[in-house]
Amino acid sequence: MSGPVRRRLWRALLSLGALAVLYGIASQIGSALLPRRIWMVAHYIDDVELLPPYASLIEETVFLIQSGILPRSILVSTGRVLQGLALGAAVGVPLGLSMARAARLECLLDPWVTFFRFTPALALLPLYALWFGLGELSKILLIATAVAVVTLLGAYQGVRDVPRVYLEAALSLGASKGLILRKIVWPAALPQIFASLRIALGLAWVTVVVAELIKATMPSLGYLLALAGAYPRVPTIAVAIATIGLLVLACDTVALGCYAVATRWMKRSPAHA
Amino acid sequence: MPDPRRRRLEIRDVVHVYEGKMATRALDGVSLDVHENEFLAIVGPVGSGKTTLVRIVAGFLTPSRGVVRWDGAPVMGPSPERGYVFQEEAIFPWMTVRDNLAFGLLAQGVEASEREKIVAGLVTLIGLEGYERAYPKELSGGMSKMVEVARVLATDPAILLLDEPFGLLDAQTRSKMQDQLSRLWEEKRKTVILVTHDIEEAIYLADRVVVFAPRPGRVQAEVRVDLPRPRSLETRFSPAFLELKRSIWKEIGRA
Repeated sequence: MSGPVRRRLWRALLSLGALAVLYGIASQIGSALLPRRIWMVAHYIDDVELLPPYASLIEETVFLIQSGILPRSILVSTGRVLQGLALGAAVGVPLGLSMARAARLECLLDPWVTFFRFTPALALLPLYALWFGLGELSKILLIATAVAVVTLLGAYQGVRDVPRVYLEAALSLGASKGLILRKIVWPAALPQIFASLRIALGLAWVTVVVAELIKATMPSLGYLLALAGAYPRVPTIAVAIATIGLLVLACDTVALGCYAVATRWMKRSPAHA
Repeated sequence: MPDPRRRRLEIRDVVHVYEGKMATRALDGVSLDVHENEFLAIVGPVGSGKTTLVRIVAGFLTPSRGVVRWDGAPVMGPSPERGYVFQEEAIFPWMTVRDNLAFGLLAQGVEASEREKIVAGLVTLIGLEGYERAYPKELSGGMSKMVEVARVLATDPAILLLDEPFGLLDAQTRSKMQDQLSRLWEEKRKTVILVTHDIEEAIYLADRVVVFAPRPGRVQAEVRVDLPRPRSLETRFSPAFLELKRSIWKEIGRA
């Protein structure tokens, strides 16, 4: 591991540690001061920990892991995210590439892209539930829609930003359209496609959690959150949120690693080297 | 035996107007002939349409009027027959030196073993042994320019179009590159058009220098360079060289 990376890791650990200590103090004081009995919708609920101390959090984590709820939820939600991501990128990236390369296609698709770009995928939830049912399909399609729009724009912009000089150089060396696409356009647009995939990945996690709120029949992170909110059990909510955060972080780290490998050839500023 | 008087490139009454809010007339009736294995240099100030002219010859641009013929046939678009070296950095940064050099051969369907052989020869020619697997970011500006020249030479084009190839380099590197190009040309003997605003560079390398007048671009004068080859550092300080330099400056001053 190089120096700057280690330094950044240290800083991250330090800031997390400071936050953890602050939370510990706040929850110890809070559990004595905050009410245990709260009014929710139509009745009182007793024995609520609004700011659970570490002891309850650890207890809850152990329970969720030992009962198999958390591991299974992680598997199910991660599976949905990855399927939606793969499907969305498989549609979005080729569409974005061809849109940037064909003016006629661009005219046809552009209004639709602009329209969907600002439509939150979640607004489509009721429609998808009606069309594709309440099962897996509508959840994965919902994620795929969000991912497709973002990756389409990334691929489109990536191709548009390929410097003209590379295309002309390839043409004057006698390259065919296919070769230019494979050896010039694709590698030159790849950094931007990767960047859009990273954004899409975050969006996929946001979408999956909400999509899982509807008619959940399997343990999943979104379902766990919905359930914990209904009881209500704050420790469960906290563990679920932390789990999702860690998963997003892990996914992002993998994506960054792939990006670094795919762009070895790029000049980098020393801070990112 | 190539015939030095055989005309290969014929530029006739070429006019080019860049359309837009302010239509710019970049070229105004340019006619030029370039002969077999001739090294022609075009000099002129910024905005005299030099680059526009070579871009038309390359086939990147279609002239508004007039015609460019290569071996008698009108130029319809880019072709590996007319190799082009750009002002900007044009070697592909995502390919290694080897892959850059092999790209034109790959595009023309030359098989792998043959590609290897030609690329190895080119690497030796430009003195970059050991850098075959390096990415362009690891090369200096002069080195990557030489890779670009070699990449164009790989497919053995009939004419080399050099558009201010050394414009972005510092003076010392540039003169080194000029020596290397001059040596390369003497070895390979090709038809070349070099566009430059560096008058010494033009005289040092060319057989004939065409002076362009600015806005709209047109041919103002032609100067024949009969300096003996191979040329060297001494050439740059010979009385004949200085005399040529003086006469070209005079032409530019009259514009």
